[in-house]
Amino acid sequence: MNAPPPGRLGRLAATALAVTALALAGCSAGGAPAASPVDTPSDTLRYAAPSAGRAATNDPHGLLPGESDIVRMALTYDVLTVPGPDGAPQPRLATAWTPDDTLTRWTVTLRDDAAFSDGRPVTATDVLFSLRRMGGKAAENFGRLAMFDLAASSASDSATLLLVTTAPYAEVGTALMGATFVVPAATTDFTAGLVPGSGPFRPTGGDAQTTVFERNDEWWGPPPPSRVIEVRAIADPAARVQAVQSGEVDLAGSVPAVSVVPAEAAGFTAVRKPGATMYPVVMRTDTAPFDDPRVREAVKLATDRQQLLDTVFLGQGELGNDLITPTDPSSPRDLPQRTPDLDRARALMTEAGLAAGVDVTLHTTTAYPGMDTTATLLAQQLAPIGIRATVQIGPPDTYFVDVYGTEPFYVSFLGGIPFLDVVRVALTPGSPTNETAWADPSWASALATALADPDAATRGDKLGELQARLRDEGGYLVWGVGDRVDLAAPGVTGVSSAIGFGAGFVDQVTPPS
Amino acid sequence: MSLRVAGALLRAGALLLAAAVAVFAATAALPADAIAVRSGGRIEGEQLAALRAAAGLDRPVVVRFLDWLGGLLTGDPGASLVSGRPVAELVGQRALVSAVLVVGALVLAVPLAVALARSRGTAAGVLVVAAAALPPVVVGVGLAALLAGGWQLVPPVSLLPAGRPPWSRPALLVLPVLTLALPTAAYAAGQLRGTVADVIARPFVRDAELRGVPGPAVALRYVGPLVAAPALRVLAVSAGALVAGTTVVETLFGMSGLGELLVAAVRTRDVPVVQAVALLAAAVVVAGLLLADLAAAATSSGPARRGRRA
Repeated sequence: MNAPPPGRLGRLAATALAVTALALAGCSAGGAPAASPVDTPSDTLRYAAPSAGRAATNDPHGLLPGESDIVRMALTYDVLTVPGPDGAPQPRLATAWTPDDTLTRWTVTLRDDAAFSDGRPVTATDVLFSLRRMGGKAAENFGRLAMFDLAASSASDSATLLLVTTAPYAEVGTALMGATFVVPAATTDFTAGLVPGSGPFRPTGGDAQTTVFERNDEWWGPPPPSRVIEVRAIADPAARVQAVQSGEVDLAGSVPAVSVVPAEAAGFTAVRKPGATMYPVVMRTDTAPFDDPRVREAVKLATDRQQLLDTVFLGQGELGNDLITPTDPSSPRDLPQRTPDLDRARALMTEAGLAAGVDVTLHTTTAYPGMDTTATLLAQQLAPIGIRATVQIGPPDTYFVDVYGTEPFYVSFLGGIPFLDVVRVALTPGSPTNETAWADPSWASALATALADPDAATRGDKLGELQARLRDEGGYLVWGVGDRVDLAAPGVTGVSSAIGFGAGFVDQVTPPS
Repeated sequence: MSLRVAGALLRAGALLLAAAVAVFAATAALPADAIAVRSGGRIEGEQLAALRAAAGLDRPVVVRFLDWLGGLLTGDPGASLVSGRPVAELVGQRALVSAVLVVGALVLAVPLAVALARSRGTAAGVLVVAAAALPPVVVGVGLAALLAGGWQLVPPVSLLPAGRPPWSRPALLVLPVLTLALPTAAYAAGQLRGTVADVIARPFVRDAELRGVPGPAVALRYVGPLVAAPALRVLAVSAGALVAGTTVVETLFGMSGLGELLVAAVRTRDVPVVQAVALLAAAVVVAGLLLADLAAAATSSGPARRGRRA
């Protein structure tokens, strides 16, 4: 028979592979010089933004699952206030927000020099329309504007807005921070594309992955250093790292901790954003055995926080002190760090009548990297005090439907949001997302008192005390907070270290020269 | 003959309908629906029911299916339950990227499969089986390490230039296309090796070889027609596998095509989008099988049969 020798086959395959690769690479090498002035002019910033892997949404007021969508909105539209470097609100479209004596009626003054891309000036009517639209989509945006009575709010004149809150609320600047994207009044269709905005950039094209923005030279704010920003939505964190390391993009948002050290050695800049990622462990305060505060304290004392931080975040972050928002300006900074104390934890378990131990199920998922490891490690750490935790890993698509806000013991997720946002989402009695079943009436009334305090300093102290009480009595085990790290190519500057919505603003980033 | 064509067409239509029913039923059977996933535990009771009603998810599954089918037949595949964007737009924006990957992989895989299918010997067989068994993600990571990491021939990710055709930087297509093509070629070769060996062993092929007919001519005139129908069938199934493979490849190399869309749509229970993408994939397979049927009909009176009689 004329069978080929075995070696021939391998050679054939290898040759085919190499020829194809070389041919295609050759084609592109020929095309590269012509293409490069278009692809990488020094006034273009190419940003690989984290995405949820979903098709882009064009509705700025509903659910914004991927950060790439927030970035697109933040370039296109103005917001009322933005988080500053310390997390406190800074003016943007709103230049001032002042209350009456009751702290329930707020006069918000708007810039008079902002205009939509279709030429119309931005007025209080547009702002009110946008806020009401957000209010109508409360189910999708975590009730972001729930503190306002938007029906009773009104536009006083073209540049002044009267915002009414349902109860005294001193932190209106924070409430308007980040997501209050302003669109022209009476806009109804948000599915066809981005509607005219008054932001620092204007969308000019793109495809399913990329939106190309050009600088809006009429924008009222500081002139952005780049003329063009290409926002690419890339779901895979490893692909974002590869993209910046191979020079395909200039900036990659939120890269895996493991890639940071090698990238820095190769000359890339790692921009660290402390406090961005948190996997708090939820213990429902209305369900046994966690309805006993001694059991909750025992769990907090049995946890080896350093081991969790080193394993889950590879040490890139801070130890948790059970404070739910450690980077919030009002979070208390002077409390001693909680350290493992197994003897005390065992004593507490005995006091709670659980000297013989207890069986529990610890739920977790793989929605965010390390959530599963968190549960596995914690289950091991709790064994010595008699808590026999069975780890159950749920599918990521239904975790936030089936487990979140339902199960008594699970690994949750919080990503760099301010204290009052956590309060609204997770610490409001009766809310389906009150995951720890936190319903202490004295705490709630102390919160109302704090929010009715017009003095920023004493209000901050009061909010800090609330967080300290929650640390000791509440159902959250906060073992650590992970940094978010963005990777920038050499020469890229101005990447903000803000977290949460603040991370979505890239208009002042300088592209590589 | 025309009866046979009509039968094949009818079968293709039935297959497509069955695929549509199966995909719809499977998506409906998944725990939680689009509204539940979208609201992620933030709302309950009446609010949840109101959103469900607005999205039409409160209707029985059969009614929803017929409504969707009616829309499709009148040219409207509906709107995404997650973003509200028209399904046609979502699919249209991404179809070209995936089509380029699949067609590119086929162009590469077919000759490779032919070469591998003709190879004989145990070592070759083992290699083919091993290559066919490799998951695409392993092939992709391996190729990236070799071609992008080691030899630095191509970029490790395939970020297509915005607003230009996907092939405007061909180097970007090397890794995803090879990742799709290599295991597929091995699979197809594995499927066809036996058939090819049988045909080559037939007397009329030996005859032709002894008569001094050149190798390519033997392959084309004597072997080809007999292998055509099974080859087309394997090709159709392979094309379907390639479409499915885009789900892995697009994520791995940072591309936004139909694969990425399908994965996200399943995760968010975005039924109209799942239906559209899955049906497109099914259409590729069914169209291939239809071609195979027609080819079988055409070659049943071809030169090979005459040759056998001779």
